[in-house]
Amino acid sequence: MPIRPERYPANRLFALLGASFALLFTFVIVVLAVDQERVREASERLQQQTVPKIIRFQRLARNLDQLRQEGEQIFSSGTPEGRQQSLYLVMLVASHPSILEHSQAAAAARDTEAFLAETGRLATQDPAMLRVQQAEWQQLSRRLSMLVDDILVEGANLATADLEDVAGTMRVTRYKLMGATALLGGFLLLLMILLRRHLLRPLEKIDRALSSLSVDRPAPEFPDGSLAEIHAVEEATRRLHDAMVSNEAARRELQLLANRDDLTGLMNRRHFMESAATELRRAQRYGRPTAVALGDLDFFKSLNDTYGHGAGDAVLRTFAELLTESLRQSDLVCRYGGEEFAFLFPESTVGQARILVERFRERCAAHEIQLPDGLLVRVTLSIGLADASRCPIDLALQQADLALYEAKRLGRNRVVVAAETG
Amino acid sequence: MPAFRSLFLVAALWTGALQAADLRVAVLVQDAAQVSLQGDLVPSSTPGADLVAFTDELAREICRRIRSRCSVSYVTFGEILPGVEDGSFDLGFGNFLRAPKREKRVAFSEPIFRSASRLVGSPATARAFAGKLGQAVNLDNLRGARVAAMEGSQQQAFLNTIAAERELTVVATATTAGAFDTLRNGSADFALLPIRTGYALISHDKSRRFGFVGPAVADHGLGDTAHIILPRQKEALRRSVNQAIAEIRADGTGHRIMRRHFPVNLD
Repeated sequence: MPIRPERYPANRLFALLGASFALLFTFVIVVLAVDQERVREASERLQQQTVPKIIRFQRLARNLDQLRQEGEQIFSSGTPEGRQQSLYLVMLVASHPSILEHSQAAAAARDTEAFLAETGRLATQDPAMLRVQQAEWQQLSRRLSMLVDDILVEGANLATADLEDVAGTMRVTRYKLMGATALLGGFLLLLMILLRRHLLRPLEKIDRALSSLSVDRPAPEFPDGSLAEIHAVEEATRRLHDAMVSNEAARRELQLLANRDDLTGLMNRRHFMESAATELRRAQRYGRPTAVALGDLDFFKSLNDTYGHGAGDAVLRTFAELLTESLRQSDLVCRYGGEEFAFLFPESTVGQARILVERFRERCAAHEIQLPDGLLVRVTLSIGLADASRCPIDLALQQADLALYEAKRLGRNRVVVAAETG
Repeated sequence: MPAFRSLFLVAALWTGALQAADLRVAVLVQDAAQVSLQGDLVPSSTPGADLVAFTDELAREICRRIRSRCSVSYVTFGEILPGVEDGSFDLGFGNFLRAPKREKRVAFSEPIFRSASRLVGSPATARAFAGKLGQAVNLDNLRGARVAAMEGSQQQAFLNTIAAERELTVVATATTAGAFDTLRNGSADFALLPIRTGYALISHDKSRRFGFVGPAVADHGLGDTAHIILPRQKEALRRSVNQAIAEIRADGTGHRIMRRHFPVNLD
């Protein structure tokens, strides 16, 4: 027993795919939003914390440099008042909170202030002491300068560290964005492949099958699809083909019934006339010879009267079987009416047709027909033959009919050609 | 058209009235003698004249930035906070340090600069106390001294908290110049003053007898950021003032004002 492949309803499958896509998209959005929030936080930190810190470092550096400059002023000032003013400024600057809160700066400021106060005191007593103190001041001044540099670098490093942090976060965000784009692209590609494989291609096949659906062709074959709806359409297409074949068979049966004589199974007169007219048009278009004939069973009325209609019917059926066996496939024959039969012989001259009908007449005359009651009888046939190569079927049959009368008049069981009647 | 012109005039007047609100501004004086000047230029010969001029200019710049007409009053420190609290003043320029007790009474602006406190005294007194203490004088080891501070200031509040333990006598004065005077007349051994005020008074003093003693102190509520104070209910005004402070800091106006009155730029 073949394993039936599992099928899924398209609406559920697409709902599942849509939900998966929405989930994936939401996930990507959330990931990017988180990264964006990190960048925002880093930028805010840079703005709210780092930049003020850098400004504080710069101010501290400026204040320390101010301290150093005022120290230089003490050494370069020529008057005690000038030195005192500079010393006051040194004290003021050294007292500033920005210096106090930085341990290194506070220590350096404290040492500087103490040294400069002592220098001021000594210089008031003896201005020559300034030169004595100069060497130590140079060291202090250098220490202040280096501290200023260190603090400036420290401030700059703060910015660098934060900016690197922001850049790193943005770099990671870029990678994630690229990854997310690739993931979404892959998902869309997969979706397109699935759509093409399970929806578009089956639909194309169904379209081709429907376009070429015909009773002359076998039922369309479809591979087993995964989508229940597609499978349903394929099944419907197969059923449609089956219905078409069935309808065609019924149509042919009906056509057969409409064209045949019920009793003998031969063509009926209407169908014979249509077929004969068509064949004559073809033959006359190409200049091919055609002959027609009308045959009538001799003394058939007496047979009916003597043995009954059942016997007459049996004779007609047997006669029809003989005709079918004796004539060529291409020849047309019909029950023209009662015991009268019409013939059309394509691709045959009157002479050739005469040979055929003569042979048949002889066979008929020699053939014993068994009646329903078991009695054996023989029937003869009179035939009028005419050329139909250059006239319509009606006219040709009229001529054949005249020849048939002539055959009856001459004694029956014979063939008379219309031309012979003059 | 006349109706349109009238409407425009009324709108312009109404808008102008809104923007040019009248504000009463209290500016801190350093000396009681400066109170009587009431907005006139303080003579540079008076103690702390530079500080008053600096505060006055800062107040007028902020008034200009917030598009207000300011009526400036020169008052002592002790009058500013109660005046702002009871609504007598809309803005108080007294370089107020933040303190929990103060924050319950008035609102504080964004910082205008940073400050610390330091003892001021004569070197001779400092040496004498150093001899008694066995080490150089500073605020942490000072004992048995008379210390002056401005009434209502953080310095006075701090001294009051340690006075009993350290056997200190706190001499309260109405102004910083008054605190400095106690040193001159010998009624106090030291004065605990904000560093700018201390600098202004020391450098202004012709006798050159006084200087800073010991290191500056920024903890114990004696240092940090200095602010403008406002009535607590005037939140919109506080926001406008903060905006003005940010602007004058960003465009360098604050530094220029400071440099006009001080030889160094400390903020």
